Amino acid sequence: MTDEPIPLHVSGIHKKFGDTEVLRGISLEAHKGDVITLIGASGSGKSTFLRCLNLLERPDSGEISVHGESIRFRMTRRGREPADRSQLERIRTRLAMVFQNFNLWAHMTLLDNVIEAPIYVRGVPRKAAREQGMALLERVGLTERAHAYPAQLSGGQQQRGAIARALAMDPEVMLFDEPTSALDPELVGDVLEVMRELAAEGRTMVVVTHEMDFARDVSNHVMYLHKGQVEEQGNPAEVLSHPESERLRQFLAPRGR
Amino acid sequence: MIDFMGYGPRLLEGALLTAQLAVLSLLLALVLGLATASARLSQNPPLRAIAVVYTVAIRSVPDLVLMMLLFYGAQIGLNQITDAIYNHWGYDIFITIDPFAAGVATIGLIFGAYMAETFRGAFLAVDRGQIEAGAAYGMSRWLVFRHIRFPLMMRHALPGLGNNWMVLLKTTALVSIIGLSDMVRIAAEATRATHQTFLFMIPVALGYLVMTSVSEVIFGWLSRRYNAGFEEQH
Amino acid sequence: MQELLQSIAPWLADNAIFTPQTLAQYWEGFVNTVQLVFISLVLGLILALPLSIGRASRLKPLSLAIWVYTWVFRGTPLLVQLYIAYYGLAFIPGIQQSIVWPLIRDPLYPALLAFMLNTAAYTTEIFYGAIKATPRGEVEAARAYGMSSLMAYRRIILPSALRRALPAYGNEVIFMLHASAIASVVTITDLTGVAYNVYARFYAPFSAFIFVALCYMVLSFAIQGAFKLLEKRMLVHLQPA
Repeated sequence: MTDEPIPLHVSGIHKKFGDTEVLRGISLEAHKGDVITLIGASGSGKSTFLRCLNLLERPDSGEISVHGESIRFRMTRRGREPADRSQLERIRTRLAMVFQNFNLWAHMTLLDNVIEAPIYVRGVPRKAAREQGMALLERVGLTERAHAYPAQLSGGQQQRGAIARALAMDPEVMLFDEPTSALDPELVGDVLEVMRELAAEGRTMVVVTHEMDFARDVSNHVMYLHKGQVEEQGNPAEVLSHPESERLRQFLAPRGR
Repeated sequence: MIDFMGYGPRLLEGALLTAQLAVLSLLLALVLGLATASARLSQNPPLRAIAVVYTVAIRSVPDLVLMMLLFYGAQIGLNQITDAIYNHWGYDIFITIDPFAAGVATIGLIFGAYMAETFRGAFLAVDRGQIEAGAAYGMSRWLVFRHIRFPLMMRHALPGLGNNWMVLLKTTALVSIIGLSDMVRIAAEATRATHQTFLFMIPVALGYLVMTSVSEVIFGWLSRRYNAGFEEQH
Repeated sequence: MQELLQSIAPWLADNAIFTPQTLAQYWEGFVNTVQLVFISLVLGLILALPLSIGRASRLKPLSLAIWVYTWVFRGTPLLVQLYIAYYGLAFIPGIQQSIVWPLIRDPLYPALLAFMLNTAAYTTEIFYGAIKATPRGEVEAARAYGMSSLMAYRRIILPSALRRALPAYGNEVIFMLHASAIASVVTITDLTGVAYNVYARFYAPFSAFIFVALCYMVLSFAIQGAFKLLEKRMLVHLQPA
């Protein structure tokens, strides 16, 4: 083992919306190459937890450190806020997020979406960014659609484009927030395929998902959340095949009749 | 108490005239708008063409120009007609156009075109299935119109109507230019005589602000009423 | 067509009203109108941009102050605003003897001031509405990719909002063109002012006002066409393939 800092270390995240406690102390550790899946019923807090990692939601307490650097907080009248905006912005560039609803910028072409943050946030020269952007679009199979606008693409194409946008940041950790939930069933496969490839090449990923097959086959760690707490976690093969808790057993049971 | 240097009562009269003018023109505009919208949606091509020309022409020309055209033109046109009657039949008639009536007619005519667009859009937004359901239950066309199309249409039309009404209210100020003694004209006269611009113009501006703001509140309340039973969609 | 031309030719030949002299007057009015409207629109636009951002800001007092400004200017007639600017400046005690008087005695300046503030108020609300309508997810993505608020405004929110505001802003431009017809009450010889002079001189309301109505119509259609073209170019991203 080298003593290189680990990509993502999170401990004791608490979060309240009004009086409801949605996260009650969740911790997570992602080493290089880890693929961690977060599963659980809707309302279990898994998406909120993911959104706390890059501070799209402000955690009320808990620590987050990326590649050994802790996000600094300070108390304000509105609650606990990041102390240093520029530190937050720098750390966010290392945690690229892929959203459930893609959230591609509608007024830009696909290629412009991919090269936007590299150019304007990371200061990559336009020419280099374009070359890298085209290469990434080729990876996700969208070379011919590079100059199309998001509204002209299918959901699956948009999501693969959004993954290319995330890859363009050369992120330390990729965060996926239910990336296939908004897709028509026949388009899910292509997106999962791209994610499998990313896992295979050793990307560090944290994935909120409903796809149990993906959790079982691709991830090396699964966390089952219930009411804002980790109910059970571990090796997917064991946890998903032999769940210990009754709740996880019910969650995994075949739906329907 | 503010001293309006003797212009107080006349300013009040002017405000009353503004209010009367606005309300009467609104009624005329609503009638014209409904009729024109119906004409545009009718199966009759000449009727549709007239409606299109009316709405497009009115909406691409400034209100003041239309007002001057109708106001100054109507008197001369009328004179020519009465002259012709005198020359042919020897009857000597002289009719002067009442400026207030002319003001109501022109503003009503102008805003009839705007109302027509609002009503047309609203009629088109009504779900056809609802009308068919009415017909399927044996309602007459008139009954369908009164009980189904009109109330459903009003829900879509209300925001536009509210907006048109507030533009109309402000447009009444233009009649001061063609000689009607509304509150803007009185205030302008008083300003020229006394050089006290703000003393007269600020109360007039406040008068309009009160009228537009009260209207906004009323229309907000009305659209909530007409929206009863419909989920707000986001 | 030939017959139509032949039938109006004599009328054009010996009409007393549309002489080269009056046509030159109409042209002057046309230039004045376009100038007045164009300058007010440009200044109003420059003013509206920061105001709409302030209106959308989380700083409540700022947002409220800007709302009060737009409420006052949108809730009162432009004519009243014009009178306040025109007489308000002219009747400031002592101003007619001061050195600025030669500058502001030209009615163009009070008219520009009133028109600019008026269109800025409407434009602010249009832009504000468009900013508010920016999809939440797109703003979130900007933040998630490390953009500062300023950068997100510059690169994502404003480009997207201004495009969305284009149709409503086109209406505002036409509205301003029509509203400018009142400039003649402060002795500016704009198109409407010229038409009134022609009417008064020849006592011919139909010729004078119908001609000027056609001028405004042509201008309105040209503006509408220009905005349609602009929308087609700027809003391609909203059309499905």
